[in-house]
Amino acid sequence: MTERHDSVILHFVVRVFMVPFIVMFGAYVFIHGELSPGGGFQAGAIVASAFVLARLTLGIVHSSPRFPTRILIWLASFGVGIYVVAGIVPMLYGANYLDYSSLPTAWFNDIAEHHRTARAMGVFVVEVGVFIGVFSVLVIMYDYLTLRFQDENDD
Amino acid sequence: MKWLTLAFLISFVGLFGYVSADLPDRGDPHAPANEHLAAEFIKLTAEEVEIPNIVSAILADFRGYDTLGETIVIFTAGLAVLLVLQKGYKRDDGTP
Repeated sequence: MTERHDSVILHFVVRVFMVPFIVMFGAYVFIHGELSPGGGFQAGAIVASAFVLARLTLGIVHSSPRFPTRILIWLASFGVGIYVVAGIVPMLYGANYLDYSSLPTAWFNDIAEHHRTARAMGVFVVEVGVFIGVFSVLVIMYDYLTLRFQDENDD
Repeated sequence: MKWLTLAFLISFVGLFGYVSADLPDRGDPHAPANEHLAAEFIKLTAEEVEIPNIVSAILADFRGYDTLGETIVIFTAGLAVLLVLQKGYKRDDGTP
């Protein structure tokens, strides 16, 4: 499951077509999450599938240095933390937990010259947290489920 | 025993087929499931959230607590895998 498969065709197709396309499709599903069907959970699963495909074909030694497991553990905690903090920040402005309508987003509308309500901004921030959390947890699960058991006496 | 199971399943298919005649049409605005909160969500999404996808608005805004719980469930699942498999399992080449 974690060895490198020495096939030029497989490497070419995976590196040049499959993984970039899947990551781009995941980004599309994520960004269009509030316009069309999609969102954080779906996009997280799609992007995680690209990383699992890279780990399956290119080997864990060659594909994991860019996203090693210890960074993914931080990312997973960070994603859940974004969600929790997005709930706490409205409390500082006197609203209820997870009530985004009091978030101060007027500065963003000034910069982007675009009208977005504070609740739409809150939805997007929450989706970012869900996306990072789901993506990194799925890759963490693959990384740890493919470990081999070794007796401690072997070392 | 096999025939008993088959008869049981066929009777269930008949029951479901009989009951499904009373179900409301798909997308019927006057179905009982669509009369309580759905109209409210559609109205509030257009008025206050102002994003086209009502499902996202319900998921992340109106039902924010629910989605927070879902995210924490997934995070906890990853954490459980990590804690169970962390000790004693290693790669053949020693990479972490």
